[in-house]
Amino acid sequence: MKYDIGMNKVHEITTDAEGNHVGTDGDITVSLVGGRMFKRRAIKGVGTEGAQEVCWLVCELDGVRVYQSGRNVIVSRADINP
Amino acid sequence: MAATVQLVEKNGAGGTQTDKTSGNIRFKNADNSTVDTSNPMVKPGAGVDYSFEKWLRMNVSGGTYTEITNVKVYMDGANGLGTGVTLYAKAVTAYATPAEATATAGYADAFTYTSGSPLTLGAGPYTSTGEKADHCVMMLTVGTTASGGITPSETLTLSWDEI
Repeated sequence: MKYDIGMNKVHEITTDAEGNHVGTDGDITVSLVGGRMFKRRAIKGVGTEGAQEVCWLVCELDGVRVYQSGRNVIVSRADINP
Repeated sequence: MAATVQLVEKNGAGGTQTDKTSGNIRFKNADNSTVDTSNPMVKPGAGVDYSFEKWLRMNVSGGTYTEITNVKVYMDGANGLGTGVTLYAKAVTAYATPAEATATAGYADAFTYTSGSPLTLGAGPYTSTGEKADHCVMMLTVGTTASGGITPSETLTLSWDEI
């Protein structure tokens, strides 16, 4: 199965004093209490003039991952690549 | 902030870098990054013509980040290069001057590396700037059933996790 949830800006991730994570692409903000948060980035189309950067925000909690890019969200236990 | 990432092609004994993130990578019978028709692959009368190796690597050229992990590359799973043309890939840690390939041993068909089953180049963590993770070494073969001319283009995806 191929997942293509879009091209978008690179997210910013911050962590508050309690260790909770907040990730935002400037339009949508995702907060995670516990677990871990990271960016899954990719350059698609390497080797052509049409190369484009993709950034997904990934929240992982108890083996479940939420992948967010723009207005698209995938919730899965799978390790998904852009 | 985020890391500024390139995919570079390395050539020569010193591994001179050329940014190929949005530039064509031309498989040929020479070790250089030039996209031209010099030193072309030749359709053989028998067997296959092997290209020189392409040594590709992730390079963090700038930006601000804490760490990069889980570096991988993959294709779209469908060889669009045409009949008789096969692209191979493998991960290699230490750089060696690109040479003309002589066998497919150690390689896998590059199109078997997909988003669901990528070629892992390194778990990391990696910090700071410069080249990161293993090289993706690729080479191409042209067989007797190939057509002449320049093949259609194919693309690669470079992916990594970052905080």
